[in-house]
Amino acid sequence: MDQVFIAGFLIAALFVLFAAGLWIGLGLLACGWIAMAVFTSRPVGDAMVTTIWGSSSSWTLTALPMFIWMGEILFRTKLSEDMFRGLAPWMTRIPGRLLHTNVIGCTIFAAVSGSSAATCATIGKMTIPELRARKYPEDLVIGTLAGAGTLGLLIPPSLIMIVYGVATDVSISKLFIGGVIPGIMLGALFMGYIVVWSLLNPGKIPQPTERYTLKEKIFASRHLLPTVALIVAVLGSIYTGIATATEAAGLGVVGALLVAKLQGSLTWQTFKESLLGATRLSCMIALILAGAAFLTLAMGFTGLPRHLADWIGQMGLSAGALIVVLMVFYIILGCFLDGISMIVLTMAIVLPMIEKLGIDLVWFGIFLVLVVEMAQITPPVGFNLFVLQGMTGHQITYIARTAFPLFLLMCVAVALIYYFPGLVTWLPNQMIGNAAG
Amino acid sequence: QTKWDLPGAYGANSFHTKNLVLFAEDVKKMSGGKLEITVHPGASLFKAPEIKRAVQTGQVQIGEVLMSNIENEITVFGADAVPFLATSYDASVKLWKAQKPVIDKKLAEQGMTGLYVVPWPPQGVYAKKDINTVEDLKGTKWRSYSPATARIAELVGAQPVTIQVAELAQALATGVLNSMMTSGSTGRDMKVWEGLTHFYDTQAWLPKNLIFVNNDAFKKLDAATQKAVMDAAAAAETRGLAMSKVETEESKADLAKNGMKVLPPSPALKAGLEKIGVTLTEEWIKKAGADGQAIVDNYKKM
Amino acid sequence: MRSPLAPLYQAALWLAGLFMIALLVAIILSILGRQFDFYIRGLDAYAGYFMAAASFLALAGTLTKGDHIRVTLVISRFTGKSRRGFEIFCLIMAVAISGVFAAYSVKMAWWSYKFNDISSSHDATPLWIPQIPMALGIAVFFISFVEELFMVLMGKSLEKPADELARTE
Ligand code: NA
Ligand code: NA
Repeated sequence: MDQVFIAGFLIAALFVLFAAGLWIGLGLLACGWIAMAVFTSRPVGDAMVTTIWGSSSSWTLTALPMFIWMGEILFRTKLSEDMFRGLAPWMTRIPGRLLHTNVIGCTIFAAVSGSSAATCATIGKMTIPELRARKYPEDLVIGTLAGAGTLGLLIPPSLIMIVYGVATDVSISKLFIGGVIPGIMLGALFMGYIVVWSLLNPGKIPQPTERYTLKEKIFASRHLLPTVALIVAVLGSIYTGIATATEAAGLGVVGALLVAKLQGSLTWQTFKESLLGATRLSCMIALILAGAAFLTLAMGFTGLPRHLADWIGQMGLSAGALIVVLMVFYIILGCFLDGISMIVLTMAIVLPMIEKLGIDLVWFGIFLVLVVEMAQITPPVGFNLFVLQGMTGHQITYIARTAFPLFLLMCVAVALIYYFPGLVTWLPNQMIGNAAG
Repeated sequence: QTKWDLPGAYGANSFHTKNLVLFAEDVKKMSGGKLEITVHPGASLFKAPEIKRAVQTGQVQIGEVLMSNIENEITVFGADAVPFLATSYDASVKLWKAQKPVIDKKLAEQGMTGLYVVPWPPQGVYAKKDINTVEDLKGTKWRSYSPATARIAELVGAQPVTIQVAELAQALATGVLNSMMTSGSTGRDMKVWEGLTHFYDTQAWLPKNLIFVNNDAFKKLDAATQKAVMDAAAAAETRGLAMSKVETEESKADLAKNGMKVLPPSPALKAGLEKIGVTLTEEWIKKAGADGQAIVDNYKKM
Repeated sequence: MRSPLAPLYQAALWLAGLFMIALLVAIILSILGRQFDFYIRGLDAYAGYFMAAASFLALAGTLTKGDHIRVTLVISRFTGKSRRGFEIFCLIMAVAISGVFAAYSVKMAWWSYKFNDISSSHDATPLWIPQIPMALGIAVFFISFVEELFMVLMGKSLEKPADELARTE
């Protein structure tokens, strides 16, 4: 059967089903079913449940529900208020002032949260009212928050990295550690943007209302301690090898419960809400992953990924050209799909090409996380846009416009890791090297 | 023309997969193009634990499994993973002769037929310090990935640790793990020299991969094509054995090249391990019953 | 109106929540085991089973809370009759897919029992046991779609909670 026809047929089927509003996970299942029933002679149903059972009960994936649960608990604590109180005193002198609490707040919170939207919602819950009360320019408040929230995916822990690691058999711990430097770099780019903007628009940033002595600043920083302790527990245990990424997720849940308990925000009600909320969100992702696992199997039977990889191989595309092509492709896809669907849907096809060209899989994982971050803030489908629409009542188009400069900075970040791959690969190798010595 | 799919769990660069590809080419040639087998390496179709079931229920026609993965279900499949029972390539071939009739019977009961087996390189002990006797293994953090490796840990007093393959390099580097038993080639593929320093070539056992077909699918082939499959399988078994031997030598050389000490076990270590082997063989026979007893008896007679 | 079957979905969701807690306990035990020198055979496999049970049992509860994602970009442009047409199309597709999914999941558990299919890892669990929550959860999922399709065809609509913040990614 002509491979181009199969590919076109499946893309069209997916497009119709998704556009008609079918739930994504079910759409993937339906498409896999069609692919196998039409283009192969294998028994479809048995293969479907066999492969879904295998992927849904895989130990490596257990980090996912645990990090989701941790985020749900922290969302219901006073952690973000504490962070604002701890950070604000330090920002009064930097051009842009309290706007930086958005970026730094998200950067720090990203180190305990696995998701972009959760980071955006948790930090925004605190900074939006505070910054509005002080009359900071609305576009910048919203735009920097939308962009910085996406750091939740790049700075470990990261749900996207878990999904990618499981799909490709790449060490999740390595991916996590590989995201640290690019994450900090991207945060710095965002802060640089705020500084430059403030210098170009003098007078638009309100004067500081409070002054602090150094002593007061240091004293205020105590509010950051619970967050720092959680970061040390989760990332520290991975880096030192006390725990694997999965186990660190379990530690994270216990740590988050402890923080909530110490702050007095742990009640039966909040525990119940966080547990059931996490169960539902994990289930939502699990259904998509199940659909994708089956679609991947179906595509394996049709032989499409292999032929496509061969074809790309014959075209003699260089690694750089392939990355550019993929980036454009993912940016377009990211306008319409959520990040997890984007990755699981394309991995079966893309991975063989990447392996063929000898591109480092940890590096490619970080690249994918960056393009998924872009997808969070591109309309019409972007989770950070949805979150901020819910919180501020602004139109999605407005929010996307305010976040556009940060989108461009993410493109810059991709260019930086392309020309300096060591930004991604150095730290994970360091981890291995140090401990071995 | 008939088309078969062959899911395998091992990567495209593994010698097992290379042998599968050659087998598929042979089948195509010998059957005059009547049967074409597509090899899906690296668990790209079904994952390792799913492959037997996929063949059994006709989701695919042919598959490759590590025999000891089926041991929990049918104990006699694990004869080649009984530590220190058959500890060389020659012994492994003999053991297969003793094992094969029983395996054939069990597979037939489930509507399948075995085509050929290929042994992995023999299992050795990796560690981060000198291991001169089994007592030196006491208290080490030992990777347990199968019932046999877990039991060895218990018997030598090591602490069994479960680590998934993807996290292994990090676990070795950070000391979550500091000893294990696996083949030279698996150790090389995992770059164990990033975390461990010693390899003792104990040749504890030689696990085997089995390539097997669904009988319904096989019966649908005409007699000439069936014969082509069987002939290609016989050739693949011979070729696979030779490839495995080459792999053993190459991987040991690679370990040494990367700074590991590749050593034969000391007489004391060997004696200690053999004692453990006697215990494990007895335990295994108890579990495997009359069939298991027959395999071991026949093997020892050869 | 409130779904008469809501308690069923809620019960399955709570069961899923309990499996989440079991998963947490399994993970914590595996960390403690390494620090304090004890070893529970097959703990990683059990963790996987708990996760699968939590994922599948929560399907219906997640659906009725409106948490399963879909692309509403196109259909949100329609109202009235044509919108209802889209909804009915989606629900018919969903009933078909989840029905087949449920049937084959039951068949898988049954065949695992019949074949005596046993986990190949340390736990050596007969696989039909952990496969039962999966079959059960998908069956309840199927029921919830049937109910919703029935309601929509009768011209009633089930109450949908206001979209909670998507804290997914
Ligand atoms: Na994060
Ligand atoms: Na988007």
